[in-house]
Amino acid sequence: MMDSIEGFVNVILGLLFTPQIFVPLVYPGLLTAAVMAIVIIWLERKVAAKVQLRYGPLYVTKRMGGVTQLVADLIKFFFAEVIVPRDVDKLPFKLGPALLLTFSLLPVVALPVSGQFEAFRSDATLFLAVALLSVGPIYVIIVGWASNNKFALIGGLREGYLLVCYELPVFISALAMAVLYGSLDLVELVRMQGPGLWGALLNPFAAVSFLVATFMSTSRFPFEIAEAESEIVMGPYTEYSGICYGLCMAYSYIKLYVKSILFALVFLGGWLPTVWPFTLDPTLPGLIVAFKAAAVMLVGVFLRAVYPRYRIDQALQIGWRPLFALSTASLVWSLFMVGVKVGGWV
Amino acid sequence: MRLGLPDIKAHVRASETALKYLTAKPRITVPYPEALLELPQGYRGMVKLNVETCISCTQCARICPSNAIKMHKRERKRLPGINYQRCIFCGFCVDICPVIALEFTDVHDLAFHTLPEHLFEPEGFAKGPPPPHVARGTRKVRTEIDEVRGFKYE
Repeated sequence: MMDSIEGFVNVILGLLFTPQIFVPLVYPGLLTAAVMAIVIIWLERKVAAKVQLRYGPLYVTKRMGGVTQLVADLIKFFFAEVIVPRDVDKLPFKLGPALLLTFSLLPVVALPVSGQFEAFRSDATLFLAVALLSVGPIYVIIVGWASNNKFALIGGLREGYLLVCYELPVFISALAMAVLYGSLDLVELVRMQGPGLWGALLNPFAAVSFLVATFMSTSRFPFEIAEAESEIVMGPYTEYSGICYGLCMAYSYIKLYVKSILFALVFLGGWLPTVWPFTLDPTLPGLIVAFKAAAVMLVGVFLRAVYPRYRIDQALQIGWRPLFALSTASLVWSLFMVGVKVGGWV
Repeated sequence: MRLGLPDIKAHVRASETALKYLTAKPRITVPYPEALLELPQGYRGMVKLNVETCISCTQCARICPSNAIKMHKRERKRLPGINYQRCIFCGFCVDICPVIALEFTDVHDLAFHTLPEHLFEPEGFAKGPPPPHVARGTRKVRTEIDEVRGFKYE
């Protein structure tokens, strides 16, 4: 009897630690994303409060500075009534939040967190990750339309305008890195950054345009235009309540988390500088990637304390003029670097 | 085509300012139950009624811009009662009272559990607002005007 239970537990544990299950569910998937989102939202509120000379969340677990405030908020969301207004388009309205979160988290299956431990190996994982990331905003527009509310509609349309102007620089700067390293495989990309030649150093133009476009796509300040709380209530998510609103709110943070991992892999050397004996075990490389991603996320949430909000036309101008020009310049720079064979290795 | 390049210097300066305040020590707000703000003279907090002095002139109820004060009939005279759901703390009632029957207190804890608790009938109004919420080890802090930062708490 004991043997069979032990065997069962072993089978379950073995199954859990296979990369195909561990990556989407635990790290860098669902569980880590949830913990990261909770911590980063708390940090965002705490940093913004500190800069504005306030205290921020404090009273839930006071000794730790109120870090579990977001858990309390989540529990509150779970017990709040989910209201579906009479005149909304029922099916897309109900499915919207779940699909938003799914498509913001789905790209993690393409992100390797160490050289050996990955959900699946493909020679186009960079393209796959960027392509999957660009699906989510479509559902923002859909929920904005389905809500049958003018604030939601305006918010959805704003997201639609921005979508075109931030996805283009993301794709072009990702392409620039692929041209520079001659590969679309993220594992290969990190391996090529080996001798301290990180992507951000070799092609700073691509790094800057990718980073700014990331903040634009994840509604960080100063590009928090689709949800602009002081103008259009909560943008596309105005009609949502309870846990459905919670999912919508988590969408941009989870997306920020995934894009930060992608940024860490492509521009910050991924799990480097891990040396040989440690690369055999995925723990240390995974932690390094998480640390770098957290640093990028921290920059993103710190901006809330720095900037006011741009108008939609100003943001579009930034997207289409300097950002688009910068990403195109990064592509040209990559071609130049490949042409002169910098360091004799590319 | 004009590229509309961003003003890098301004962005750096904005980030610098935020970083400076991130590490700055004093804060504008005080943690609510642990620190009790010592209020200046003439602070417009919740109002208290002196039943003996009141002459039932109803001036306070008339002047109240938000209809927070209503007169209530008691055995000998009419006495004002106040609804803190409506009060905007303008202080007109205290100013207009010809016999100084109304006076400010330095309490402004407007957190009540139920709606009826917001309503102070003449008896409660005369008793004054409940004392402020305090936690264990509450310290009193006083606002100091600082030349550099504006505010300082001691």
